[in-house]
Amino acid sequence: MTDSDTRRMSRDAALDVLARRREDQIVVSTMTTMTPWRERAGSTERDLICVGFMGGASTLGLGVALARPDDDVWVFDGDGSLAMQLGSLVTIANASPRRFLHVVFHNGVYETSGAQPLPAEGRVSFAAMAEGAGYAKAVRFDDIEAFDAQLDELLDGDGPVLVELITQPTDAFFKPGTPATKPQKSALARNWQAVRDALAN
Amino acid sequence: MAQPIAASMLLDALHEAGVTDVVAVPDTHQRSLIELLQESADIRFIQTTTEDEAIALAAGLIIGGRRPIVQIQHAGLFACVNNMRGVAMDGEFPLVFLIGLLGRDVSKTPRDNFGSMVRLAEPLLETLDIPSHLLEGPDDVGQVVDAFSEAEERGGPVVLFVGTNTN
Repeated sequence: MTDSDTRRMSRDAALDVLARRREDQIVVSTMTTMTPWRERAGSTERDLICVGFMGGASTLGLGVALARPDDDVWVFDGDGSLAMQLGSLVTIANASPRRFLHVVFHNGVYETSGAQPLPAEGRVSFAAMAEGAGYAKAVRFDDIEAFDAQLDELLDGDGPVLVELITQPTDAFFKPGTPATKPQKSALARNWQAVRDALAN
Repeated sequence: MAQPIAASMLLDALHEAGVTDVVAVPDTHQRSLIELLQESADIRFIQTTTEDEAIALAAGLIIGGRRPIVQIQHAGLFACVNNMRGVAMDGEFPLVFLIGLLGRDVSKTPRDNFGSMVRLAEPLLETLDIPSHLLEGPDDVGQVVDAFSEAEERGGPVVLFVGTNTN
């Protein structure tokens, strides 16, 4: 299969589908889903960001899920990110969090560094790997209507569930920002401490 | 000369420190402690496939209100430097580590050992500005409780090197 043969959904349309189901789930987002999710999620009291340690979203979310088994935890992962910590599929399957939705946005490129292609793009399947790792359910969608139609059933079932979404790359090249000129609390530290306090209340 | 530490003493110290979860990649030095932890009813033992995962998972546990410790081997410390920096340090997570020094000649200090994994472990942490303490025998076990206080005060990681086998 060539890339031109691959059907892809819009990342933002997929986030809209998820946002329509948003209630009190704890959501961990990373890389190019962080900003568009924040724009859709409203309150950020239960929104964690994974920034500065690419590949860590899946196990960060697992830790929260194991600490709070009565809460639903959603993780919005990237294909390049998950590929960096592929063993986390095994770790998550072993821990078997029942209320855990792992969404992988598979756009086929390392988007933030200039859209370099993912190795084995066109052949690699994260859903197949999650199924092989032992997830309760793993499904791949390239059609937004099918994803929207089946998401409720997936959310009602026992986790961990992995949903691989074949998405279109966006123009999300991260341009270098201004280097810090003095010590400051990181965005990660500010974010998690606020979420921890909100969860504790 | 370092003396073996009873695994039961370390387990008691984890209880005293209020540890709820041990997030681990298997370590040879601490295998007898791992056996006790796998049977523990009140401390959850969570295994990961990499040390990077262990750090991120422990961070998630802290966000959710738990009090984890990360248990790994020295080779894993070298493997997880980016998450040590990006999660534990920059994220200001009060994470305590138990790190075994497999292959250490216990008649020498770690940095006087020939093997690079033992010799370079303390200097690596010094480079990262992460405090470390060496458990050389039963008299040092009290440092487990102290390490949690230190991690919380500094808002960052603290490492306890397990300098000899647990038994």
